[in-house]
Amino acid sequence: MTTLEVHNLVKRFYGTQQSAVNDISFELMGGDILALVGPSGCGKTTTLRIIAGLERPDSGVVRLNDRVVASESVFVPPEKRGVGMVFQDHALFPHLTVSENIAFGLRGQSAEQVKKTVGEMLHLVGLLPLAKRYPHALSGGERQRVALARALAPRPVLVLMDEPFSSLDADLRMEMREHVRHILKSMQATVVFVTHDQDEALYMGDRLAVLSNGQLEQIGTPEEIFHESNTRFVAEFMGDSDFLKGRVTHSGIQTEIGLLNQVVDLPSSTAVEIAIRADDVGFVMDGSGNSLIVERFFRGAFNLYRLRLDSGQTLHAITDHTQILPVGARVRAFISAEHPLTIFSS
Amino acid sequence: MATHAHRFNLLRLRSNPISPRLAIAAGLVAIFVAVPLVYIFIRALGAEPDAWQRLFQSRIWKLLANTLLLVVAVTSGAMLTGVSMAWFTERTDLPGKKIFRWMLAMPLAIPAYIGGIVHLALLRPRGGYIPQALESIFGQPIFTPSPLGFYGAAFILTLFTYPYVYLLSAASFRSLHASLEEAARTFGRSPLQTLFQVTLPALRPGLAAGALLVALDILAEYGTVALLRYETFSSAIFVQLSGRYDRSAASVLSGILVVLAILILWGELRLQGQARFTQMESNWRPAPPLALGKWRLPAFFLVLGVVSASLLVPVVVLAVWSIQAFLDPQTMAAVFRTGSQGFGSYVWNSLWSSGLAALMAVLLSLPVALNSVRYPNRFSRFISRFCQVGYAIPGVVIALSLVLLVNRLLPFLYATPFVVVIAYVLRHMPQAVRASESALNQLSPSMEEASRTLGRTSVQTFIQVTLPLILPGLLAGGSLVFLTSLKELPATLLLRPAGFDTLAVRVWMWAADGFYTQAAPAALFLVLASALPLYFLLRREQIFK
Amino acid sequence: MSKFNISFVFLVIMLLVSACGGAAPAATEAPVSTEEPSVSVLPATEAPAIESADVSGQLVIYSGRAEPLLQPVIDAFKAKYPNVEVLLKAGSNSELANALIEEGANPQADVFITTELFTVQSLAQQGVFQSYLPAGADQLPAEFIGADNLWTGLTRRARVIMYNADLVSQEELPTSIFDLTDPKWKEQIAAAGSTNGSMQAQIAALRQLIGEEETQAWLNGLITNEVTFFGGHTDVRKAVGAGEFKLGLVNHYYYHLQKAEGSNVGIIYPDQGEGQIGLITNATAAAVVNGAPHVDAAQAFMDFLVSPEGQKLFAEQNYEYPLLPGVELHPDVQPLDEFRFADVNVVEAAQDFEATFDLMETVGLP
Repeated sequence: MTTLEVHNLVKRFYGTQQSAVNDISFELMGGDILALVGPSGCGKTTTLRIIAGLERPDSGVVRLNDRVVASESVFVPPEKRGVGMVFQDHALFPHLTVSENIAFGLRGQSAEQVKKTVGEMLHLVGLLPLAKRYPHALSGGERQRVALARALAPRPVLVLMDEPFSSLDADLRMEMREHVRHILKSMQATVVFVTHDQDEALYMGDRLAVLSNGQLEQIGTPEEIFHESNTRFVAEFMGDSDFLKGRVTHSGIQTEIGLLNQVVDLPSSTAVEIAIRADDVGFVMDGSGNSLIVERFFRGAFNLYRLRLDSGQTLHAITDHTQILPVGARVRAFISAEHPLTIFSS
Repeated sequence: MATHAHRFNLLRLRSNPISPRLAIAAGLVAIFVAVPLVYIFIRALGAEPDAWQRLFQSRIWKLLANTLLLVVAVTSGAMLTGVSMAWFTERTDLPGKKIFRWMLAMPLAIPAYIGGIVHLALLRPRGGYIPQALESIFGQPIFTPSPLGFYGAAFILTLFTYPYVYLLSAASFRSLHASLEEAARTFGRSPLQTLFQVTLPALRPGLAAGALLVALDILAEYGTVALLRYETFSSAIFVQLSGRYDRSAASVLSGILVVLAILILWGELRLQGQARFTQMESNWRPAPPLALGKWRLPAFFLVLGVVSASLLVPVVVLAVWSIQAFLDPQTMAAVFRTGSQGFGSYVWNSLWSSGLAALMAVLLSLPVALNSVRYPNRFSRFISRFCQVGYAIPGVVIALSLVLLVNRLLPFLYATPFVVVIAYVLRHMPQAVRASESALNQLSPSMEEASRTLGRTSVQTFIQVTLPLILPGLLAGGSLVFLTSLKELPATLLLRPAGFDTLAVRVWMWAADGFYTQAAPAALFLVLASALPLYFLLRREQIFK
Repeated sequence: MSKFNISFVFLVIMLLVSACGGAAPAATEAPVSTEEPSVSVLPATEAPAIESADVSGQLVIYSGRAEPLLQPVIDAFKAKYPNVEVLLKAGSNSELANALIEEGANPQADVFITTELFTVQSLAQQGVFQSYLPAGADQLPAEFIGADNLWTGLTRRARVIMYNADLVSQEELPTSIFDLTDPKWKEQIAAAGSTNGSMQAQIAALRQLIGEEETQAWLNGLITNEVTFFGGHTDVRKAVGAGEFKLGLVNHYYYHLQKAEGSNVGIIYPDQGEGQIGLITNATAAAVVNGAPHVDAAQAFMDFLVSPEGQKLFAEQNYEYPLLPGVELHPDVQPLDEFRFADVNVVEAAQDFEATFDLMETVGLP
């Protein structure tokens, strides 16, 4: 069942020419988690706020469970949409206890029912012992969980999460991802999750929507987004790809580091760029090789090298953590990928 | 958290240029504030040319010189005293600095004219307690400095306005990051050079704003200058109002005074935006205090001297007078009458009128503050600044304007205490606006948005989330309005209906007739009643935590 | 995204607060008199004797007389009329006159009391007062009753010079107010400033006696001599009594009040010599405001002011010259008939009062 439909959403901010959100459309099925990902200023937060009813779109339609909540003629205020939102700064009410915060959205229910729901939510997020505490007495992770519990307690049609982990430090962030995803899945919640962090998007999202400059670049499963980037932006942003120049021949694509054996539907001698990641590049020491080791980064499990090809292009490559090669050494780089690479005509 | 709020604000700035109904409400408040001001200008410009001519030939230049001279002298004096006292209590190992912090701020509870009354009684040439005591000891008159005239007025006003500067600079000294001075030292500056080249310049924007506030206060001051017989615009307007049938001269003088004040306020508002170079960061740590060494004792006595002149002496003298009043049945009878002339009625009048003014000022400030903080744009900022024009309208001018306006437009309000309350609201609204804005600024808009997504309408959100969270800030604003209304003299004197006397009016009338012991209990009560909200306000300040 | 509803709630609250507040005092503090304001001229002999118990409610007095100089009389009145609540607003004559004119359509005060005759006369001409001749006032000298009984004189006072006898010897005493511009008194004189009714009246009288230019010269002389101008005469007498100044230009009773406090002060009734202008005197007066909300109480108070009891209080407590014949002077006060008076026409002076204010403004009298 389709829970959320967004059609041709446009939002322009006062005094600016450029649209913050420019003709974005997508759908979200019940029980799915959609991660909206993109660099800051790409329009992902604005899209989220339009869905929540915190901003009014200039044009376009938002439907929740087949009910139009925003269009050119309709605007349902946030309190009537039945969505739950988790804010970047958590926005816990400092004058209310943890239970009172969670109970805030439970209206029109008996006190007993409220108490029961709050208890369930506290149990779900593992904060039962802290029910009577005030937000200022909680740790960052605990606040995060209270914010989630508060948003989930009224059983919203849709849960919106705006960079919910960005105020946590790195260790906690990893831990919370797992925890939160588990909770959301156990509740079968339908979620729109906004982040600027690719790893987080790949981890959290059942599907990903990549945004850039207010436009939807690509929407799909994490694997599709990662391996089959539609646009150069997606490949660069999601995959840390380098772009290797090449030219189409009848047997594949000729590049500076050899032939990529992949047939493309382009006329011969078309100039193209191949999106290529560090794990798709191999190299060996070779005094007459095609490139130079410029820098080495020790990354624990592996070593990451930056290579400069003779043409000046930069590629990244990795080696096993035991294999250490000196900076300045001449090497021969080659394409080691055993799967199709994404090609963009330049 | 702050950066997030900031980001939201930026988004809002672009997405919601205006909230029509809130803007209208704020606009109405601005009109309420504007009417008396505009009316004064109309009256001033409409005054017959004769009045202008007479004034320009004789009074205005002298008044202008007198007023500006006093403003410059007191502002410099307050800066010097305030900054140096703050430096002693915040940056040195001055003995007893915890107590001194309180005592240096507390003179804010003493209206300058009450301080003036005490100092005048003590120091009045030949007639004062001190000259008389000296004469009886030495058998001949000994010269003592006179508290009358320019030097006296500058001295006494400095004593009772420096706490503004003290509080601002103490807070700045406190929040200054230790590394700032340490960095200066590593670049080869001595401690003294560091003070003048790094520390003080870093405090500059806040201090300049404080100085301009002092300047505005002096422009509006009536009681002290009248008492010490130094003529300024404010006192000349008062004399005009009580000395002549026709009010055109008073309007002309008021118009000029308000222009002067608006210029200063404009500067203050400009500085206010950039009032802070420094801010408390999470890794803040205080700079180590400077060891005074052999200067410890002289510094102690210097600070003690300032505290004595501005706090201890006035309070002790008032207390002694009050005791004398209680011991003298005739004075007691005069003080504790029944009915509208009883002490209880003065207290009650003071408290309820100032309290109502505080409530109204805070309520009126809310739409203005909500509009400017939640929907920042050129219009809402203008409204917010405009509503602070009360700083620039001295009590006498507000009184003049209201007497004329209310009788014409709202005759049913005329000669009721509510005109007095309206004057307080107009005059002290800026404090409420600033307090409400700062309270709202500290509240992340996501708090309100969270409430909306949890099913609350905007009104419910305001009542259940925003209001409880900004309440301490609103209370602080209200306390400030209450405190300053309690002290307000000229507007009360001119606008009170028959039988409506406040503590301030009573103190003034009795003291002006020389009945010091009779005035003392009321004055002491006024000081104590002001000290309470002041204590509450000061406890919020960083330096008292 | 609407915060706007909130602001409306607050505007409404604010309006409610001010509306409720506005209603309350109107009900409690200014009950409308059930009596129609009396406009008919009541000759004293026909004035019904008002029984004290009949008069109740409020009485609003605007007084140019300083509060301490009026309070004993009010206290005595209240003792007699216990059901009347007296609300007093004391200020300068002109400040209150201003208020009366402003309030013309919306009168607040019942009785106005001034310290000189020019203000009442001027206001009477502007229709601010209603006609009322208090019981027994027909015995007052005719010159101290306003035309159409619009105001009634209460007491007379003389403009004198007081001195500190410790600081000034008998030989060097001034004999004329024009001696005060003598440089030998530089910085040694205190006087009341331009807001003081008695001072204003003295200047108005001088304008009539010696003309505008001479008066201006005298005022300039005072200013050049660095006379200290206070807001009121109490300050003046205290300063002279304390020896802060050698001379003070005051009303005669301030000398007596200061003397009663034990100061060694003396009094000079000036300008008694041949060719000199004579002693300038003035009178305090009272009037019932046109449209006064509490006419009964106002008339009772007026009656009390000119009654032997009221007059006696002025004479005894404040050393003034009672206008009612037969009321005894305070024993310390020199009878007025010993002196030669300056002859001043009240009606003319009142008409020229505006010019007096212009003159004070022109010379910049503080």
